Formats: sequence, C-alpha cells, structure tokens
Amino acid sequence: MSHLSERAWGYLLAAPAFVLLGFVALAPIGAAVWLSLYRRMPVFGIDEFIGAANYVQLWSDDRFWAACRVTLYFTTLSITAELVLGFGMALLLDRLTSQPGRSSQWGQVMILLPWAVPTVVSAQIWLWLYQPDYGLLNYLLLQVGLINAPIDWLADPDWAIHAAVVMDVWKTTPFAALLLLAGLKALPQDLYAAAKVDGAGPWERFRRITLPLLMPIIVIVLVFRTMDAVRVFDAVFVLTGGGPGNTTETLSIYAYKTLFQTLQFGYGSALATAMFIIVAGLTALYLFLLRRHFEDGV
Amino acid sequence: MTMMTQLHHIFAAPMPPASRGNEDGGVVNVGTNAQLRAERRVPPMLTGVVLSIWALTAFGCLQGGQESASPSTVLVFKHGKLSGDETVLPSLLHEFEQRHPGLIVREELLPSSSDQQHQYYAMNLDGGKAPFDLLAIDTVWVQEFAKAGWVGRLDDIVPMGEQGAFFPSAIEAATFEGRLYAVPWYIDAGMLYYRQDLLDRYGLTAPSTWDDLVHAATLIVNAEQDRQLSGFVWQGKQYEGLICTTLDVLRSYGTDLWTGDLDQAERGLQFLRDTISTYNISPPSTSMADEESTRQIFGAGRAVFMRNWPYAWPLLQRQGSPVRGKIGMVPLPSVPGHTGAPVLGGWLLAVAEKSPRRQMAGELIRFLTSPETQRLIAVKLGYNPTRRALYSDAPVLEARPELTALYPTLLQSQPRPVTPSYILLSQAAQPEVSALVVGRKTPREVLNAVRRQADRYANGDESPVIGARQ
Repeated sequence: MSHLSERAWGYLLAAPAFVLLGFVALAPIGAAVWLSLYRRMPVFGIDEFIGAANYVQLWSDDRFWAACRVTLYFTTLSITAELVLGFGMALLLDRLTSQPGRSSQWGQVMILLPWAVPTVVSAQIWLWLYQPDYGLLNYLLLQVGLINAPIDWLADPDWAIHAAVVMDVWKTTPFAALLLLAGLKALPQDLYAAAKVDGAGPWERFRRITLPLLMPIIVIVLVFRTMDAVRVFDAVFVLTGGGPGNTTETLSIYAYKTLFQTLQFGYGSALATAMFIIVAGLTALYLFLLRRHFEDGV
Repeated sequence: MTMMTQLHHIFAAPMPPASRGNEDGGVVNVGTNAQLRAERRVPPMLTGVVLSIWALTAFGCLQGGQESASPSTVLVFKHGKLSGDETVLPSLLHEFEQRHPGLIVREELLPSSSDQQHQYYAMNLDGGKAPFDLLAIDTVWVQEFAKAGWVGRLDDIVPMGEQGAFFPSAIEAATFEGRLYAVPWYIDAGMLYYRQDLLDRYGLTAPSTWDDLVHAATLIVNAEQDRQLSGFVWQGKQYEGLICTTLDVLRSYGTDLWTGDLDQAERGLQFLRDTISTYNISPPSTSMADEESTRQIFGAGRAVFMRNWPYAWPLLQRQGSPVRGKIGMVPLPSVPGHTGAPVLGGWLLAVAEKSPRRQMAGELIRFLTSPETQRLIAVKLGYNPTRRALYSDAPVLEARPELTALYPTLLQSQPRPVTPSYILLSQAAQPEVSALVVGRKTPREVLNAVRRQADRYANGDESPVIGARQ
C-alpha cells in the first residue's frame, strides 16, 4: 500500500467526500439541466427532447426578464443594507464581548434572534406589522408624525418590493454580523497598538487596518448573502405572492409557479438553471474581485 | 413496518436477527482477527437479509393490493380540512366502515392552501401509485386531472340518468370528454353581502345593478362620516380569487375574460379599477385582499358591501359577531339588460386512477354524496349541498334558511373555462388583472395579453408558457 504517492493517497481519502458531494450537489443540478432540454408536461402527456428551445423561449419571455429585474433589485438593495448594518452591528458586538459580563451575552442573543426565527414565521409577523389599519408600523409612523395617512405597504406596487427588502434585512443582518464579528475577533491587536503609537485616529485605523484585513470575510458574506437573495422565495411569497401586478415576482416565485402550479417541468427547469447560472456568475465575479484585491494589495 | 425502518434496524443493530441461524454468524464483539474475518463476510450476509426483506415487502404489497374487504383493507381519503364541527366527517366515515365490515377509512388532511393541495396531488399522482385512494379536488382541477389520467371515471357511481339531480354547472365542470370523472361534494358561487341596517337607515334596498351599488355605497360612506368604513370590498390580490371576482363582474356585463365581447369586457375591467380610483368605494388595500381579509373587514362592520363565497355567511352570523343579524346576501349585481352568471366554486370527490381499491373508493363517494350525507353536511357543517332537491328540503331549510336565496344563484352559476389548460390560463391572467387593479395597465392592455394567450390554446399550440411573449 505504501507504494502509493502522497497525492494518490489524498485523492483516495477524499474520494468519499467527492462521491457525497456528487450525489448531494452535482447530481440534482445535472438532472435539472438535463430536464431543461425537454418539453415535459405530464398533464398533456408531453415528454420530448427539444434541445435548447426552452432557453430560446426564455430569451423572449417578458415575464422572465421582469423577474430578473425584480430579483436583482431585491438582491442589490438587501445585501447592501445587510452589509452596512451588519458591519455596524459586528463592531458593536465586538465592543460588547470584549467586556465580560451578562449584558454582553444578552446583547448578542438579542441581535441574533431574528436569524433564528424561521422565514415563514417572520414573514407572517411582518405581514401583521405591515397591515395598513392595525399594523404596528403605520401606528408608530403616524405617532411620530412621519406620515399623515396610513400606507398600504404591500398593496402599493411601489412599496411592496421594498417592504420585502426591509423584512429580509431585518432577518438576515444578524448572519452578516456574526461572520464579520468572527473576522474582527481574529484581527491581530498589535497592528492597532502600532497604529495608535503612530498617531492614527479611529477612522484611520478602521480604514487602513480593519477594512482591508476583513476583506476576505466581507467577500464571503457577499457570496453567501447573494446566493440566498437571488434565490429568495418564502420571504416574498408569504408577504405578497408575487403581486400586486407581478411587481414582487422573483425568479424563484416564477420558477415555483411554472414548476409546481402549472406543471411545466421542462420550462421550469430552464428557469431554475438560469437562476443557477446567475448565482454562479455573481459568485465568480466576487472571487475574481477578491483575487485582484489581494494581487494589488500585496 | 416500512422499508426504511426495516433497513434502519439492520444497520443499527450489531447483528440482524434474521442472521441468527447462520453458521458462525455471531461474531461482532469477539477478537480482532475474528472481527476482521466477520467484516469481510458481512456484505453477502447483509445482501441476503436485504434481499429477503425486499421479497417480503413486495409480497406484502401484493397482499395489500388485493381488492377485498379482508381486515387489512385500508382506504386512504385525502382532503383539506373542513370547517365547523370536527367530529361530523369522522363519524360519517365510521358509519361507512360499519356498513362494510373489515374496511378501515383513513382520513389524511392536507394543508388548507389549495395551491399546496394541487401541488401535493400533482407530485403524487404523476407516475406510479399514489399513497391515497380517494381525493377531494377543486372544480378547476377536474379537467386537468382527467386529461392526465390521474383520476378514474365515475360514470358507474353517478350514471348519466342520475346526474340531473346535481347542479348542471357542477356536472359540466366534472365531465371530461363526455365522461364523469368526479362527483360534486359541496358547491359555491360568488354572492353579494350587504349591511341591512345601513341600507335601512338611508331607505335603500339591496342593489341589483352596479350603478345602484356605487350609488348606495357612496351615499352611505359619505353620510356615515366614518373614515374606517369602506363601500365595497372584494378579492383583488394576485391569486385565483382575483380571477373569480373578475369573471363575476365581466359575466354581469354579458361577456368573459378570455372570450366574449371585447368592448363590454373593457368596460367591466374599467369598472373594477374605478371602484378604487374613481368611485373611491373600495380601499387601495384591495390589491392585497383575499377572501379572509375581506371577511374580516366586513365582519368587523367596516364595509357596506362585500363580494364573497357563501362560506362567510355562517361565520358572520355566529354568536358574538359584530354584524350578526344585520346582514343580507343577494346575487351579485349586473348591468341592465344582462343577467349575471356567477363563478362556480366548490369541491368534488374523485378516485385515484391507479388505486387498487377503486371499487370501494367509488362506494365511499356514493355514500358521501348521497342525499342523507349531503343533508347532514349542510345542516351540521354549513356546506352547500350539490343535490338540488335539498334546497326544498324542510329539515335543511330550517337549519339553513339562507339556502333559499342561494339556490337561484347556484343554478345560474357557470364554471370557469372547462379545459385542462385552465391553471395555465389563470396563472397567465393573474398578473395582468392585478396590474389593472393597481392602475399599472389599462383594460385594453390586459385584454390583449389575456386573449393572445387564449388564442394560442385555441390554435392547438401545446407549448404553453405562463409568461407573456414579446
């Protein structure tokens, strides 16, 4: 056995993991891509190989492009807000946890709570908050005097998508904060001490030390959050079902309606594949930018 | 025991019981050498065990699959939860079991959302044997399920000669290529609810035209000086309920959404939008309103008129309801010169085509749709019977006097397009009409998009995509 090279041993030992990954991740993706080359509608007894025809149809499908716009708008707004707020939260938590005590633990728990609530449940909570007549949100805004009349957050085609973004930000900012906090904890403290000796102020230290060193973590947060946001389904579906006037129909909701309500398995798989390509493309872009950042920085 | 638990036991236990008799089978916790030898020997042993269990399970399936009233016959009945007294249906099923010794009927509830029920049925009926024999389906699914070959024919349960006892629209919805594929279980049609006390206060009567409704709603809302009070609430959210409301209105204009006179359809759609934007009798939140949210607004006394299904009636009239005794229900208004045809709703019972117990499932459907059972369900659960004779049945009318008002409407009701493509048509129309409700599209734009879609099916284009094409 010892005549095997170290490299071969490595592959051998990693083989179970590769096989597992293949079954869990690659096989379903492959199956979806394969299905997207078929026209399959069980109700009508249609099941035929049509090559790329579904993708041609996708290209001329207004509803698909509208869903793309909604999805990317949702993704951009929500991950920007999550990153900024999450960073603030992480810095705050970092302060809190550097002072031992019960209050710091409570602070952490409170901040992480929204992340622990299942999405469907939190969407239901927000449904009540957004209720125009009895909802807490309108009540507070009216009390403070920010608005004069109740706003129909979900019924208004301009507000609805933003209402979904706010809910998503509330729910997933803790996740961004948690990852960034872990990054902050790992930063070498002697750099800060040296910077202080050199007379750098808090902003200068944040910009020159914290931000660059945290960049890999930031990219990880972006990758994770982008993957989730592009696939967003339950948060929006529970709130609006895609309406009013399709203004909140994301790619996932369109794919769901195509696959599971109208049972067009081939075309629905093409939609799902398109979504996969978008996520993969964005992730590749992030990783490319990260690599360039390091090559430039070093 | 299922296959999975059996396998689980094999892999979890150090020595499977089935291998106990094998020569030097019990080895696992002896010395290391023995252990190594044993491990090498495990695969064939395991394979044998797994194979024998496969065989046993397969045999068990065959046994269970035989049509007989032997003690092992279990009939699985899938349906959404019924409202009202939860003991009524189980006691009915128990009665059926007693009439058929050895038979067990197992009720299995589905989530209350009808979209989820549709998805569950489609996933389980498509290919292979479904884990149920009997199912309750929405009126708009019958054509689709029959076309797909998922549900079986039921002409022997309700032969042609007996179908006249049911409402004609329900039978039409249940008939595919001249054959009956489902039996109507309970029936619905859109109605206009109104506040009798408010109408009386201003000397008005229940409206029979849309103009009357707008007039009454405007007058009452202005006079009442109540900012919380809406004139007319209806279902305007982007979902199936929006299509039902739209069809109710368009048919009262003497036309339809996918077919019929284009100019009248344009007027009808414009009226829907105008209730919000011009007459101000419907609140802007209408674009998110479904059956339940409108029922809650009307039920809290915050609306003069409401379009809803008859299910709301007993809920609005129950003890403690703020509008109890103050409401009435009439057919939806129409445009002078046209008689409306409200949208047919309701649920039917069908048999899974691949069920090995189809005969028995058919018997249960005969029982559940019999006059006796229909009477009981009408009186105790408040569902509307599908047999016409029950609308002049004294015990039923004593408990449900409102059925007298409902009868002509149910008789006039028309199903939504009776085609296996209905879900596709509806899914394509929902975003269009919803855009009209919020003022993002004109009636003409909506009709162009919706009718182009319908033309494609009429021309035999069988590559439907719910998205609009450029």
